[in-house]
Amino acid sequence: MSLKPNTLGRVATALLFLWITVATALAAEADYDALFREANDLMGAGDLPAAVEVLKKVPAPKAGEEGDAFVRSRMQIAKLHFAAKEMDEALAATREVLALYPDNSEAKNFLASVEREQKPRYVSFLQDCLKFLPVLLKGAVMTLLLVVCTMLISPLGGLLVALGRISTFKPLSILCWFIIWLFRGTPLLLQLFFIYYGLPSLGITLKPITAAVIGLGLNYSAYLGEIIRGAIQSIDHGQTEAAKALGMTYGQTMRRVVIPQTYKRLMPPIGNEFIALIKDTALVSTIAMVELMRAADQMFNTYFNVTALVLAAVIYLIFTTFFTFLFERIEHRAGIYERR
Amino acid sequence: MSDAKALIELEHITKRFKSLTAVNGVNLAVHPGEKLVIIGPSGSGKSTLLRSINFLEEIDDGVIRFEGNEVGYVRRHGKLHLDRQQVVCQLRAEIGMVFQHFHLFPHMTVLGNVMEGPLTVQRKSADEAREIALAMLAKVGLTDKKDVYPATLSGGQKQRVAIARAIAMRPKLMLFDEPTSALDPELVGEVFDTIHALADEGMTMIIVTHHMGFARELADRVIFMEGGNFLAEGTPQEFFAEGMNNERIRSFLNRIL
Repeated sequence: MSLKPNTLGRVATALLFLWITVATALAAEADYDALFREANDLMGAGDLPAAVEVLKKVPAPKAGEEGDAFVRSRMQIAKLHFAAKEMDEALAATREVLALYPDNSEAKNFLASVEREQKPRYVSFLQDCLKFLPVLLKGAVMTLLLVVCTMLISPLGGLLVALGRISTFKPLSILCWFIIWLFRGTPLLLQLFFIYYGLPSLGITLKPITAAVIGLGLNYSAYLGEIIRGAIQSIDHGQTEAAKALGMTYGQTMRRVVIPQTYKRLMPPIGNEFIALIKDTALVSTIAMVELMRAADQMFNTYFNVTALVLAAVIYLIFTTFFTFLFERIEHRAGIYERR
Repeated sequence: MSDAKALIELEHITKRFKSLTAVNGVNLAVHPGEKLVIIGPSGSGKSTLLRSINFLEEIDDGVIRFEGNEVGYVRRHGKLHLDRQQVVCQLRAEIGMVFQHFHLFPHMTVLGNVMEGPLTVQRKSADEAREIALAMLAKVGLTDKKDVYPATLSGGQKQRVAIARAIAMRPKLMLFDEPTSALDPELVGEVFDTIHALADEGMTMIIVTHHMGFARELADRVIFMEGGNFLAEGTPQEFFAEGMNNERIRSFLNRIL
């Protein structure tokens, strides 16, 4: 038995040590407590082979006996070997568990990870992709739905807030200023928590998706409101005067003359906001929504496999790239009249 | 003192900007078909007076009568307030205005610009508006430019489109606020000719300008304005003959010509 701890092994050991300490404290089994404690001390001292020897002293349970301590000891041994890249020993310890408890999920998952380590990298990567993609794509559809809903709601909300802000009717202007102040001044995460977890105490219970769309919609309306207000006020005042001189009302002036001229100026900052939005949708995973981030997180926690996170990153990049190009095209078309 | 035959009548119009009195209680009546030219140095209040006529400036005191009726303002607690939007818009629709810097709508084609008034303000059908707009563009000689955007036009062409846009509303009065001041000298002629042709059709117009050609060749009456007051008034012949006797007008004309 040769355990040659390398650097990675040491880090892994330290983490395992921490985990085992906590686990031991929480579920101490009187019988083998001393053994586990001794093994812990040895691990803490860095003497892994000795720790393995101590753990091996936990015997297989006889018929009718509790087997928890046995399973725990063998899985610890397996993980220690795994950390030291000694796969055969790790497998042997895992199979000891499976021989007695074929359905033990920890052992089964561990066996899968070890087998993956032994396969060529690209094979295991492709297998992971096939395993994770269906779940991630389902999450991605939800993310896309949230993005599209917010993209439809927030420009309208933003326009209303912007027109309110520049209104000469003071109460409306102050109200809109307050809305912007509130939703730009607090974290989106907090707003989502408030809408989903806080509103029920006021008697309003929302489904996660409703809460998510309302939260994102309000937050992005506040941001877009300021952008739209800036764009409206940047249009030459002569345009308003010319429209008025024709006999147009305020509404006609805005609708026919001023707002259409803001489109080109609005696209770059709004594009920016919408790219941020695609990533901000990850926050709704905190209010019980399974979208792309949550799906990736679940896969990662179940299989302890970074591939899930890498795939999620790729899907996010595909989304942001697609929308970047889309916004550039819209900007190009919106400015068509400026070309000489 | 109301002049029953006047199209537009201004009585004691006063407009202040903070401590500056831009227009100082002037009286003016313009009759149908009349061509009035207002000249004067920068800051004399002539543009402010012109803009007061279609309520782009809110006056502080005075009365505006359009076709004999007092219009545009209601008096509350001794102060003037602009009348309801609907009323003001209706009045503006009957008064065309052309600006120094054109202010064409850049996101609409030339035809779209000229159609805009009939379409949006007068709520005419698209076909009817297009028919009117094409007739107006023919009048200013820009039919071939109907489908381009204003950015591609020269200054003179832009101003002619702006005139077409204003007359498409069939206004009873046209206001020109220094229509040739932003143009390169070689482009002044085409705009001048367009306005001249409009004058020949009998359009009532008030022109604020530095271009003496308007005063000499087109005006029925010339007003010299300075410091918010009318300093001299008369037919072009009287004005240019007698103006030379007035120190202020002479020095102004010498600087311009």
